[in-house]
Amino acid sequence: MSRTVIVGARGFVGGAIVRRLAEAGMPTLPLGRTDIDLLQPDAGAKLAAQLRPDDAVVLVSAEAPCRDAAGMVRNMAMVRAMAEALAAQPVAHVVNISSDAVYADEPALVSEDTPAAPASPHGAMHRAREVLLSAAVKAPLAHLRPSLLYGAADPHNGYGPNRFRRTAAKDGKIALFGEGEEKRDHVLIDDVAELVRLAIAQRFAGVLNLVTGKSVSFRDIAERIAAMADRPVAIEGSPRRNPVTHRHFDVRARLKAFQQFRPTPIEDGLARAAAPLESVR
Amino acid sequence: MTVAFCGMTHLGLVSAAAAADLGVATLAFDPDAALIARIKAGELPVHEPGLSAAKLRLTAAPSDLAACDVVYIAPDVPTSDDRQSDIAPLTRLIDAVLPHVRRDATIVVLSQVPPGFTRRLWQRDPRFFYQVETLVFGQAVERARKPERIIVGCADPAQKLPVAYASFLAKFNCPILPMRFESAELAKISINLCLAATLSVTNTLAELCEALGADWGEIAPALRLDRRIGPHAYLNAGLGIGGGNIGRDIATVIRLGAEHGTDTSVAQAWLGHSQRRRDWPLMLLAAAHVSQIGILGLAYKEDTASMKNSPALALIDGLAGVRVAAYDPAVNWQDAELAYVKHAHAPLEACADADAIAIMTPWRQFRDLAPAAIADAMRGNLVLDPYRVLDHGACAAAGLDHRVLGRA
Repeated sequence: MSRTVIVGARGFVGGAIVRRLAEAGMPTLPLGRTDIDLLQPDAGAKLAAQLRPDDAVVLVSAEAPCRDAAGMVRNMAMVRAMAEALAAQPVAHVVNISSDAVYADEPALVSEDTPAAPASPHGAMHRAREVLLSAAVKAPLAHLRPSLLYGAADPHNGYGPNRFRRTAAKDGKIALFGEGEEKRDHVLIDDVAELVRLAIAQRFAGVLNLVTGKSVSFRDIAERIAAMADRPVAIEGSPRRNPVTHRHFDVRARLKAFQQFRPTPIEDGLARAAAPLESVR
Repeated sequence: MTVAFCGMTHLGLVSAAAAADLGVATLAFDPDAALIARIKAGELPVHEPGLSAAKLRLTAAPSDLAACDVVYIAPDVPTSDDRQSDIAPLTRLIDAVLPHVRRDATIVVLSQVPPGFTRRLWQRDPRFFYQVETLVFGQAVERARKPERIIVGCADPAQKLPVAYASFLAKFNCPILPMRFESAELAKISINLCLAATLSVTNTLAELCEALGADWGEIAPALRLDRRIGPHAYLNAGLGIGGGNIGRDIATVIRLGAEHGTDTSVAQAWLGHSQRRRDWPLMLLAAAHVSQIGILGLAYKEDTASMKNSPALALIDGLAGVRVAAYDPAVNWQDAELAYVKHAHAPLEACADADAIAIMTPWRQFRDLAPAAIADAMRGNLVLDPYRVLDHGACAAAGLDHRVLGRA
């Protein structure tokens, strides 16, 4: 079985991918920033030196979230290193971990056919990364766009399951924007890792959204987390500053690409994410 | 008076048979002598209720056309997978026929052609007219005999139609609407786009019904009683728009819009939604664990053997790794797309040991299936019945998980 190189293997997403591939008995070469710092001028050459023609390469490394022009420049420097490495040492398959931030914030049903129209620096960074990699990579190339991720080991504290879980445990409360009406598609990190495994196994090329297809409201998630807590948790709304928007995904492309895959239902995923951080690490 | 129809596939054969039924001497011509021989032997190339070639004078000799006063050019126009018409065979047939048609005869293009096509023919040869066909697969004979109206494209609609052509059309006893070529060609497309619009509204709201706990089956009859919508409106929820011709016409409008700078984004949205609804069974099956499925009906609609754009084939295509058994009373099992499908010879045979069944074509005979018998034959209990062929209560009583379009 050929090897999979994970670039950005020490992060939340990269780590989960490495673990899943290892569980499946797939040989991996995990590379983190301590192995190759993609911001350094010689990073492209260093990365190329690690690659073999029959490798699959998963590109996870990014400075996320990208908030401004300086962040964009650093992210593009990393993409440049990736592109230079893949030009110097072509490989068999490349999987780019992108983001659903490439889509516009419109109340619509999103599919892979929905035009990318990023409104945030983070979305623009991911879209630029997709375009630049598409121009540079000759091998089959997949752009996988996960929606909102959650999981026990998530180091981010963004609005959603991870933050709700922490504030519920620490302060006994969960603060919602408005009444938490917005529906979003929250995808468990394990499901993302499994979809990446399937993409590698089937040498998937093209765009695919990594989503469950079942969007739930933030309030629904807050209530589920409160119900799982071992102490009373107050769910507090706040005056709404922005209009309510929802995002749903059409998962037909995923159904056709990976028919055997079944996403983890939110109730099971939240229970799994509730495992203490220590036991996961 | 003798009328000829050239091109003996669906459109030509059905139209010729309808003319012959009106007592008109009808010549049926096709350059394919083997096809003519098969039709003479009673082997019809299409399945249509009530279709018979018995009254036709069949020929493969173009010289026989010299006896005809009106010559219809009526081959079916094939469409490609990307919904483009291929008019090359039509053009070849016209070139082959033209030298044999009498100078005083009228030539009528009955095949569907893109706007502008017939005027270009007329500029070459002023004997040309265009007539809109409004065949419906499965009801073609009935509609060809009793059209609601006849739309005629001409160079100058103020001029009287040629005598023989006018007297032939008069036999149909319906309004005759002469109009300029481009209007008639676009009228055909307009009819199909109106149907697409209604179907798209229906399918969009049916999907919303499924999410809201409403029932489109209760809403549709209320709409039919609205004078502005009407009793025959296309309000039955379906697996997308279905049929190749409406999709082809939507694609034509999108292409014409792009060429002329007209906004056709609404038509593009219809196509997108149609694709999504076509995958309704696949979405439901994805939520279940299915290793064997029985499919009842492969044709794209009842009373036809055509599988072009069939939702059943789209479903089979999306079911890699699932064993499929299928039954259809009409389709040709030699079709390559059915290579991996087990051929069941009766509906219940297709249901045997299935985890789920999908009734993909609403053939009348499926209405007679007893839900209890289906439940006995199946291993699982999931029944996807998009067109509501089976009785919901009887299915529930038999322990079947009966899912239909437009109801939660």
